[in-house]
Amino acid sequence: MSIKVRTVERKGRTFLEQLYLVEVIKGMTVTLGHFFRNLLDNSRLYVRHYPEVEPEITARWRGRHRLTRHEDGSVKCVACFMCQTNCPSNCIMIEAGERHDGRSEKMPTRFDIDLLECIYCGYCVEACPMDAIRMDTGIYSVTSYSRDSMVLGLEELLETPGAFDEEEYKKGGG
Amino acid sequence: MAEMVKLFVNGQEVEVESGKNLIDALKVVGIEIPHFCYHPALGADGNCRMCLVGIEDGRPPLVPACKTPAQEGMKVQLDAEHIKKIQRDVLEFELINHPVDCPVCDQAGECALQDYYMSYSLDDSRMRVEQVTKGKKIDFGSGVVHDQERCVLCGRCVRFTRQITHTGELGIVNRTDAARVSIFPGKPLNNRYALNIVDICPVGAMTSSDFRFKQRVWFLQKDPGICHGCSKGCSIYIDHHREKYKDDVIYRFRARTNLKVNGYFICDFGRLSYAAENENRQTTATADGSAIGFDEAIELVRERLDRARKPLMLVSPDLSLEQMWAVKRIATLYGADLSGYSDSYVIDGDGDDYLINDDKAANRKGLELLDIDSSKEQFISTLQYTDLLVNFNNDLFYSGVDEELKAQLDKTQSIAVCSHQLPVFESATIALPTASYSEYGGTIVNEDYVLQRFDKALFKNEDPRDVLEITRLLGGAIIDAPHAWPGIRQSVADLADIDPETIPAEGLNLQNSEDTNVGA
Ligand code: SF4
Ligand code: SF4
Ligand code: SF4
Ligand code: SF4
Ligand code: FES
Repeated sequence: MSIKVRTVERKGRTFLEQLYLVEVIKGMTVTLGHFFRNLLDNSRLYVRHYPEVEPEITARWRGRHRLTRHEDGSVKCVACFMCQTNCPSNCIMIEAGERHDGRSEKMPTRFDIDLLECIYCGYCVEACPMDAIRMDTGIYSVTSYSRDSMVLGLEELLETPGAFDEEEYKKGGG
Repeated sequence: MAEMVKLFVNGQEVEVESGKNLIDALKVVGIEIPHFCYHPALGADGNCRMCLVGIEDGRPPLVPACKTPAQEGMKVQLDAEHIKKIQRDVLEFELINHPVDCPVCDQAGECALQDYYMSYSLDDSRMRVEQVTKGKKIDFGSGVVHDQERCVLCGRCVRFTRQITHTGELGIVNRTDAARVSIFPGKPLNNRYALNIVDICPVGAMTSSDFRFKQRVWFLQKDPGICHGCSKGCSIYIDHHREKYKDDVIYRFRARTNLKVNGYFICDFGRLSYAAENENRQTTATADGSAIGFDEAIELVRERLDRARKPLMLVSPDLSLEQMWAVKRIATLYGADLSGYSDSYVIDGDGDDYLINDDKAANRKGLELLDIDSSKEQFISTLQYTDLLVNFNNDLFYSGVDEELKAQLDKTQSIAVCSHQLPVFESATIALPTASYSEYGGTIVNEDYVLQRFDKALFKNEDPRDVLEITRLLGGAIIDAPHAWPGIRQSVADLADIDPETIPAEGLNLQNSEDTNVGA
C-alpha cells in the first residue's frame, strides 16, 4: 500500500494576521454577537436546562444495571459468571448457590456491582446467555454520599424495573 | 528408554515411542486425537468412536486410535475430509440429547465435549424433536453428584469402580436413548477413591458436591503440589484463587499424574484435605493468651531460649527436609535436644494396598534421613527434665488427645510454632503463626524413598512465615531452602549428590542408584 502525501497550505502568515490585534477583534465580534443575541432572546439556545429538564433516553442507552426476572417472577440469572468473566473493570462479584425454584439448578446468592468501578461498557449485558442483566433502567445519574452505597447488591438490582417496553428494547438491539 | 518408531501424520514424519497407542504416542509430540472413553489408567474401551483415524496403507481404512499401537511407517490421516466428517458426526450424535447447560455446569472450561465442539464441529443442532430428558443432580454418595443428561456414556466411571477400586458400584443400564449410568438401588458409591470419578469423567456428568458451584474453573490458578495427607505424598494440583478484596484460598485439590508415586489418582481424604489449609489457622502471634506483634514474639522466644538450661525442640514429620535441617541447626546452636516423636501420626490399619498409608506423616523418611530421633523413650525422658519445649508444628494429638502426655505438656513451659489452632498447642505460652505446606516450597521423601520437590503455591495477603524463616529469625544461619542443601549434602550420605533444582517433576527414587545419578 502506498501512502498519499497531501501538502496543506498554511494560513495565518500575512502581515495583518501576524499583528493579532485585528484577529482578536474579529473573534471578539463573533463572541460578543452571540452573547448579546442570547442575552436578549434565550429561546434558541442549544443548551439543555439540566437538571430541571431531563434528557430523553433511548432504549439503547447504557444506564444503571438491573437483573431481570422470568414472567413467573423467578430470577433469570443462573450465576454462570459470564458477566464477571467479561467485565473489563472486574467490578462484578458473584457467589453462586443451589437453586430450589424448579428452574435450572444454580442461582446467585450474592451479586454485587461496584458502580464506582464500572465503566458502563455493557460487556456484561452482551455476555449474558440468559438476558438476565440489562442496563435499561434509564438511570443515568448515579450519585451518592458514600462509597459503600455505590455497590449494588442482588436485591437492589432485582428491584429496579426496566424503563422501556420489551419491543422498544429489542428494537434497540437488546 | 523405549524403542522409537517413525510414522507419518498427515504426511508429516514424526518419531514416537512404540508400543503406546496412537492417542498417547502422538500426544507426546503435541498432536491431539479427540477421545472420550479412553483413559490411560483404564485402557481402551473403544465405545465412543471419537478417536477414529484413517490409515493409508492396506490396513482397514478406519481404526480407533485408542486401540491402535503406533507402528513403524504407519500413515495416519487426521485432517482428511472424511475423518473430519466422522468427528463432526460423532459430536453431533453426542449432542442430540445433551442439555448444553454449560452456564450452570461445573465442568465448563475443562469439558472435553465443549472443547471438541469448539475445535472440531461448531455445527448448529438439527434436532427438531423434543430432547430426551433424564435424571439430574442425583446423589451417588461419597460426594459425587451425577447428571444423567450430560453423560456421554463413555463408561470411564464404570470401569474405574470395576478396575481400580474393585467395588463395582456403577453400571450402565438400558440401551440407546434410555441408557444411563446408575448405582444399584440403595447401594451408593462407597469407596475411598470415589471422587476420582469427577476427575476422569470427560464431561460434567460427574461433579463433586464439595466443589459444586464454588468457583468457575477458569478463575482458578492451578499449581502443582504434593499432598501431605499421608506418607504416600501423592502429586496433586492445588487450585486456588484470590477473589477481589479477599485472600488467596484453595478451592480444590486434584490428582496430578505421577507414575512414580500415585499414578493417575488420589484418595478422597487427601483431595478434601485442602479445606484444612483454609480453616482454623493460627494467624497472629500470642503470648499468654493475648495477641502480640510477630517481631515482639520472636524477641520473646529468643529470650526464653537463651535463658533455658535444657530446651527441647520437637519437629513435625510433615516439615520439609530443609525445614527439619534448619531446626536441627538451631537446636545445636541453643544446645537443645531434638525430637521428631510423632507416633500419633500413625493410624494402624487405616491404610490399604493401593495409595492410603497408615502413616499420616508426609516426610517421616526425611526424619530418618536427617537422623532425627523419633523414639517415644527419648522424647518422654527428655520432656521430664526440659525447662522449655519448642514445638515446630507437631500435632502430638493427631489421633486423639493423649491425657497422660497432655498432663506432662501442661507442666512444661512450651512455645508453639504452629500453622493451625490445635488442642496440642493450647498449653503453649507463646504461639508463633507459621506457613502450612501450600505456602512454602521444599522437598519431602515419601514412604517409598521417592524424593519430591514442591513450590510455594499460595501467596496470602499476610503471608505467614515458614518454619525455616522462623529459625533464621531465631538466629539460624540458613536463609532459605536452597541454602540448607550444602549442609544436608554433607551430612546425609543418601542425599550427597542431590541438587533440588534438578529433581524431576515425578520425583527421584533414592533407592535407585541409576536414578540418583541422572538427577545429580
Ligand atoms: S458495564 Fe462493563 S464495566 Fe460495568 S459491570 Fe458491565 S461489563 Fe463491567
Ligand atoms: S447476569 Fe447473566 S452473565 Fe451474569 S451470572 Fe447471571 S446469567 Fe450469567
Ligand atoms: S458437560 Fe460440557 S458441554 Fe455439557 S453442559 Fe457441561 S460444560 Fe457444557
Ligand atoms: S458419567 Fe462421565 S465417566 Fe461416566 S459414562 Fe458418563 S460421561 Fe463417562
Ligand atoms: S477413545 Fe477410542 S473409541 Fe473412545
